[in-house]
Amino acid sequence: MHTQDFPQLSSVETIQEGFESFGYICSDKIATAVFLAFQLRKPILVEGPPGVGKTELAKTTSQLLDTPLIRLQCYEGLDEAKALYEWKYGKQLLYTQVLKEKLGDLLQGAQGLAESVERLHQFGDIFYSEEFLEPRPLLKAMQQERGAILLIDEVDKSDYEFESLLLEILSDYQISIPEIGTVKARTSPMVFLTSNNTRDISDALKRRCLHLYIPFPSIELEERIVRSRVPDVEEHLRHQLVEFVHSLRQLDLKKSPAISETIDWARSLLLLHADQLEEEVVRSTLNVLLKFEDDIEAADGELNKLVRDAREG
Amino acid sequence: MPGNLVNFIQVLRSHDVRVSPAETLDAMNVATTLGYGDRDRLRDGLGMALAKTPAEETVFNQCFDSYFTRGLADFSLEQDESDTEENPPATAEAPDDSELQPSASDAAALEAAAENNPELAAVMDSELMRALLANDRNALTIAMTQAGEGSGLQQIQMFTQKGQFTRKMLDAMGEQQLRGAIIELERAGDPALANLQRFRDLLREQVRDFVDREYLLHAEGRNQQFMEDVLSKTRLSNIEHSYLHRVHELIRKMARKLAARHARRRRQYRRGHLDMPRTMRRGVANDGLMFNTYWRQVKREKPQLLAICDVSGSVAAYAKFLLLFLYSLQDVLPKVRSFAFSSHLGEVSDLFAEHPVEKAIEMVNWKYGGATDYGSSLQDFADLALDDITSNTTVIILGDARNNNGDPRMDIMRAIYQRSRQVIWLNPESRRAWQTGDSEMFRYLSACHFSAECNNLKQLERVVDQLLKSTR
Repeated sequence: MHTQDFPQLSSVETIQEGFESFGYICSDKIATAVFLAFQLRKPILVEGPPGVGKTELAKTTSQLLDTPLIRLQCYEGLDEAKALYEWKYGKQLLYTQVLKEKLGDLLQGAQGLAESVERLHQFGDIFYSEEFLEPRPLLKAMQQERGAILLIDEVDKSDYEFESLLLEILSDYQISIPEIGTVKARTSPMVFLTSNNTRDISDALKRRCLHLYIPFPSIELEERIVRSRVPDVEEHLRHQLVEFVHSLRQLDLKKSPAISETIDWARSLLLLHADQLEEEVVRSTLNVLLKFEDDIEAADGELNKLVRDAREG
Repeated sequence: MPGNLVNFIQVLRSHDVRVSPAETLDAMNVATTLGYGDRDRLRDGLGMALAKTPAEETVFNQCFDSYFTRGLADFSLEQDESDTEENPPATAEAPDDSELQPSASDAAALEAAAENNPELAAVMDSELMRALLANDRNALTIAMTQAGEGSGLQQIQMFTQKGQFTRKMLDAMGEQQLRGAIIELERAGDPALANLQRFRDLLREQVRDFVDREYLLHAEGRNQQFMEDVLSKTRLSNIEHSYLHRVHELIRKMARKLAARHARRRRQYRRGHLDMPRTMRRGVANDGLMFNTYWRQVKREKPQLLAICDVSGSVAAYAKFLLLFLYSLQDVLPKVRSFAFSSHLGEVSDLFAEHPVEKAIEMVNWKYGGATDYGSSLQDFADLALDDITSNTTVIILGDARNNNGDPRMDIMRAIYQRSRQVIWLNPESRRAWQTGDSEMFRYLSACHFSAECNNLKQLERVVDQLLKSTR
């Protein structure tokens, strides 16, 4: 990917503006990360609590650049056959059968076993050529003519072995296929890796990436996000609800409400024609924000105070 | 600037942020791409390339701020400019310590005094004094930095060296002349004395600050490493109570390190390679058509670890650490069962599962502490867990094998030895003491696969590393 092809990425400011036009409001830091990733051709390892827009960042970048988004969802046991490529065994076997009949023609005139084998050798490699290769997300991303956004989602869920597999791709944008050789990316893709920190990522992988930590946004930033996603919410209600969510995040909860939940909640309040936070409305919609019964109970006790603070704040 | 960046990376390293040469190059690229114009942006960018965890990011930000802010703002005579920016105007305008701040009138008074005092006049003519009088912050900062470099301030190791370095730097900057003039003025009873003293005090203060900052930047991280190094080599029973929390931290760190080193090899792919023989064999039924593929699967039994800790008085200090270590290791070896004994033995795994580790250890000590009886404890262990020992089990025993001349119950030890994959005995006593007094260590040795002296963290780490290699 070259800068002249993508004027959207020519500076940190244009990235920020571009993202905003797709409804992704981001901090200076996030835009800087995307800018650097593009300029230096480095993957970004995006970490942060769930729901702060890690995956969304990759999606928006793909929208902004108008390039395909190729997503690889990681899980325990993910291996190269599912991530990189696989041989089309069925097709290979079928072809062998079809070619069985041709075998006679092929070996016609061959004297003795040695010569037959010699002749067979000349055709031996065709079964392991790109014809029989089934590309999986990582290889597919390498094959894109105009480059691609490669999203390796929740890389912390995969095994350590899989991480080592990624190392070659992330540093040189190439893949070694033993039977064929090295496949180099036509255009190096932009790579986003996301992690929820369920386990430590290996140092080798971290070294190859820019490291971006996205925390929960500040009140101002979150208000801007809500405004861009749910434009119909009145300004003072928006302020109150964001304020409320922020004080919820201060509580000791199993799962703090994420940005996406703030947006959902804003939509719910809009549907209920609320024009400011009332304890009753909040209580009945609390399950939009909090996903555990324990959390709801914990928040319920403080509700009076939280609502009052949010209305004053 | 690149040189500066390399220095900065040295500072980061001394603060325990690991930066590889490749990352140094990345940081250079980041700096070139972003330019030096926007400091916040540069900080964000460098942070992304250099800091790899939120904790490292915090350290990075601190270092960045203290490293790159030691610019001109640090040294000024009048009201500090950066102060006025940061403080609300109200406090900046307030008539605060103007007593201490030399001002234009000070300079004028000194000029006047210098006219009939050649000594002072010479001082006033010196480079340092001229810079001070003119409030030439540029020159002063440069002089201070040069003096710092000249005196090797970056090599500062201990806080006790601070005074020494301050003096060296002041000398290098030519403060001696200033001092001479002050003594001269004092003798003459010149009213300009106080003015000159003010200049000198300010200079000293600034240099002291400079040394302080450099110390924080260069030595603090190193001191922590030094401390950790010392602690990990000290006999655990000799570590003073006030350092215990640091040892806990150290143990966790080691466990994490070991976990990272070994966890990656524990899991295997669920689906391995194509099982060609099997695929062909099954294909026979289809007239040699191999339509169904079969995959070689790797099955692996998880290792099991049984840890037996002597918590009697003589060994308790060590047992505490071993228990803590095992507890922290549960990430790597999920099947850890712990037992504690002195006269009787009981399983303490649940205590560890239910309580925070410090409390659990306390409860273990309280419940099982006392005089040692290896014989009956081994009997208890046999009743509790002998049947669970398989060829995948590693038994690890921590104790000094001092049995108060009781029956060592070698028969049980042998049974454990024969059933298990390996028996490891860690003895906090030094090898020389194993044959003395009531120690049964040499007899128990015949029923151990591996035994080691283990009384500091370094040894413990080595043993556990060995253990993990063999239980994989």
